[in-house]
Amino acid sequence: MPALTESNAQKRPADVMADVMEKPPPRSSSTPITPSINPYNAPKTKSAVITSSKTQNAVVFTPELLRVYYDRLFPYEMMYDWLSYGVTKDFFCRREWSFTIQPTPEDEIYIRYQSFKDLPEFKSAVIKRQPNKIDIGAVFTHQPKDHNNLSKEVFHTEERELVFDIDLTDYDGVRTCCSGANICNKCWKYMNMAIKVMDEGLKTDFGFNNMVWFYSGRRGVHCWVCDESARTLSNDARAAVATYFELPLENEEKSLDLTSNLHPMLARSLSVLEPMFLSDIVGDNGMGILTNQEQWVKLLKTLPEEARKAGIAAEMDKEWSKRDISPEEKWKMLKGRIEKETKKEGVKKQRKFKGDENERLEMWPIETVFRHTYPRLDINVSKMQNHLLKSPFCVHPKTGRVCIPMDVKKIDSFDPFNVPTLPQIVSELESYAKENGEAKNVPDWQKTSLKESMQFFLKTFLNPMKNEQRKMRMEEKAKEEAFTGDF
Amino acid sequence: MFTSSKSTSKTPSTSTTNFFYTTPPSYELSLEDFESFALSRLIVLRKIEELKVKGLDRNQYNDALKRVVSLQLPSGGSNQSQKSYNEKRDLASHFILRLAYCRTEELRRWLLTQELALFKFRLEDLEKRGGKDMTLFMRSAQISFDKISHDEKNGMQSELRFNMSYRDFEASSFYKIPFAEAVDLIGRRLVHVRGGYAYVPGGKLVSIICARFRSHLSRSLAKASASFSHVSSDTRIGPLLKNMNKQYTGRDFGKQTAVEGDMNASNVDEYAERSMPLCMRQVHDGLKKDHKLKHDGRRQYGLFLKGAGLTMEESLLFFQNEFTKIMSADDFNKNYAYNIRHSYGKEGKRQSYTAFSSTTIIMGPRSNPSEVGSHHGCPFAHSGDSSLAALLGKMGIGGKDKDDIMAHKKNKMYQLACAKHFEVTHPGAAKTEGVDLDGVGNHPNAWFNSSAQYWKQKDGVKKEGGLKGKLTPPKGKVERALVSPNRPGEEKMEINA
Repeated sequence: MPALTESNAQKRPADVMADVMEKPPPRSSSTPITPSINPYNAPKTKSAVITSSKTQNAVVFTPELLRVYYDRLFPYEMMYDWLSYGVTKDFFCRREWSFTIQPTPEDEIYIRYQSFKDLPEFKSAVIKRQPNKIDIGAVFTHQPKDHNNLSKEVFHTEERELVFDIDLTDYDGVRTCCSGANICNKCWKYMNMAIKVMDEGLKTDFGFNNMVWFYSGRRGVHCWVCDESARTLSNDARAAVATYFELPLENEEKSLDLTSNLHPMLARSLSVLEPMFLSDIVGDNGMGILTNQEQWVKLLKTLPEEARKAGIAAEMDKEWSKRDISPEEKWKMLKGRIEKETKKEGVKKQRKFKGDENERLEMWPIETVFRHTYPRLDINVSKMQNHLLKSPFCVHPKTGRVCIPMDVKKIDSFDPFNVPTLPQIVSELESYAKENGEAKNVPDWQKTSLKESMQFFLKTFLNPMKNEQRKMRMEEKAKEEAFTGDF
Repeated sequence: MFTSSKSTSKTPSTSTTNFFYTTPPSYELSLEDFESFALSRLIVLRKIEELKVKGLDRNQYNDALKRVVSLQLPSGGSNQSQKSYNEKRDLASHFILRLAYCRTEELRRWLLTQELALFKFRLEDLEKRGGKDMTLFMRSAQISFDKISHDEKNGMQSELRFNMSYRDFEASSFYKIPFAEAVDLIGRRLVHVRGGYAYVPGGKLVSIICARFRSHLSRSLAKASASFSHVSSDTRIGPLLKNMNKQYTGRDFGKQTAVEGDMNASNVDEYAERSMPLCMRQVHDGLKKDHKLKHDGRRQYGLFLKGAGLTMEESLLFFQNEFTKIMSADDFNKNYAYNIRHSYGKEGKRQSYTAFSSTTIIMGPRSNPSEVGSHHGCPFAHSGDSSLAALLGKMGIGGKDKDDIMAHKKNKMYQLACAKHFEVTHPGAAKTEGVDLDGVGNHPNAWFNSSAQYWKQKDGVKKEGGLKGKLTPPKGKVERALVSPNRPGEEKMEINA
């Protein structure tokens, strides 16, 4: 293949070392890993039988399995198609790629500023390097592989998808089931909540169309917004969009300072999140914050001073201890009690507390719902054009799971423990061959359980986007022809 | 309140200056005016930079800025000729600085920041004045926004008025603006966003106009930088443009007036300990260690000491004491005394030299730490991160104070780092009566003066409480400094005028 001679894969070792970063990329796998399964919730499917981290590595991720994946299953064409955005010339080659490679089990090398001139070059570089992880960066003014020869004035980012990264580790302050890299089906609900709020906000408020969500492979999700208007946003505008969605939830002690005139986006989010708060947080099937006395006392302690003055906490504690009340019912009682306290009452229509005290009490239920359900974004990922984000369709080295797209419409039934794993899809390939022969005319991914994900990606994201691009190009052409009179 | 400019064809009004600067001036300007206009604006912009670090509240900031703007770049006027002169000065000075500051990324960013602050100040002032001024300004700057119809407004009522009273909502017009132009309002969730547009009430348009000005100026600066080499080849204005950012606009520390304290050869050490900025402290400590200073260090430190009130005789004595630890008095007199007398204007062309400003030191030559006697330069700008951190640590500055200073250094805000150093070593200085902080971070002698004032107050207080301050100048001389007719503030006015 002639492309190979110029490819980065052919770089002399010295050149490659020059690109090796001292620091690993944000959120690399350098953090200690623990197996990610809660024994109580793990569904009894074959993909979920992963227990200890040592055996897990051996079972779910080996260089041999990865080689099969890169040889036969990684969707190079789709990725190329997607990231070219219908521009055939001088575009894909200016995209930064980064590989994390592991030449020996102890070493991990992170190579930035890779770029590939076309599909064959991209494909052969991945196959040659066998990266444990692939990151996608921005499109630069020049080919990133030449960045050493270019001054900063000339070499800079030109465009980049607007991306969002949500990670369950940021929920450690509220989740009671797992912590760190561990996840279970209970805390996975936080991701559903986050996706619902963000997806709606990005579409309705900002008018974005071409968006796709991915499972990150372990404990979070990524969103890629690919509309041209999103790709060309300045860093300032990215930061504004990210902070538009941000609530200061990282500090559990800090008040959210909500006022009763809630921003329309927050008001809408509340209407989505409060039902989920009742169904997925308060009860035993969720975080159980209103199930037993120990838990509800913890929650009642977060009531503001005014509530204590009015004796709400003591009253609720007494009521709830008396008889068996469902968690949902408890929440309604508490809310009703606060409402009564903060409403204007009596003939004089006076409030019991002064304006801001009253408001603090009035907003407490909303603040509590948000604290337990509202998306916690890693906004630094979204703010900068040149921030790298893990590529879709990578295999997570610690779990062996493929980063597959997620259907927002069916988000409630998404189960991270059912996501195809590397050994699973490789064995599916083998059994398909046994049953049906090699079947060269069938793409390999169609022979595995990746089929559904890939088809979903094509049908709901890539093809509609390509159609839109085609339409726009035709319109432009028609305009041009009308202008020049060249029919 | 604001109407779309598309529907009007009236000629732009002349009653409001177009400080959006859409078109460059096209009239003749004397070289003298060229320079003085630019300097006026430079004084304003540097004042803005200085005010920003002081942590003033909004009113204090606006008042202080108003004072300097009305002095240096006034607008309007009692008659037409004064009015047009003021307009001319504002317009020309803006475009001159645009040229002078387009050369490097750093200069461009500096100008953009300060110009934006000035723009915002004026726009808010315009808005406060109310009436037609704002509309006229927008028309002349060709700014227009899409106003939504009455029906559309009422249809979105529940979303649009989330943070407004009913009365304000009724009285407001709303404008539909692409969200990328309203980043400030969106990031703070101050407006409703729908379908890629921000719905901005008339009262919040200032933020949008500022954003437009910013991108307009940023683009223009980038464009100007491409033609800088061509413009600067002009022999009349070239040197002026190239040196504009090094122009010193603050107080002049050449004459021995308005000096705090009573420095003499025997107490320089004590002053070095408490009242010298890091650049001078570094030279002083280096001199004590090596008993020798290279030429650049002698000039930087010698002129500083002169500005701090050390007489020529005392200066000779001070340097001689130190240098003769490694050489004979004869050698000192032969090789070094001349230079000291020279800097006091007693030799050669008999010019009395002024002390270096911070900019001069930052832009000046770097010292070579491995060379004996080489200690000049600005430690914030010229030292590496680790050596500055070590230096601060040695002086007992740690924790957040150190982090703040290091953060300024890393952002290349050396003068802010220096001002911060003052702040942490002089706690409560801003609130201490009799301490004038003007120029701290811009000139080592201003730093010194402010520090001396500070310690005078502190030691005075301590003395009353029965505690003797560490550094108490002899009584008689303190009084001299106190009654000095030439207070720093007054002198500044004279120079600025």
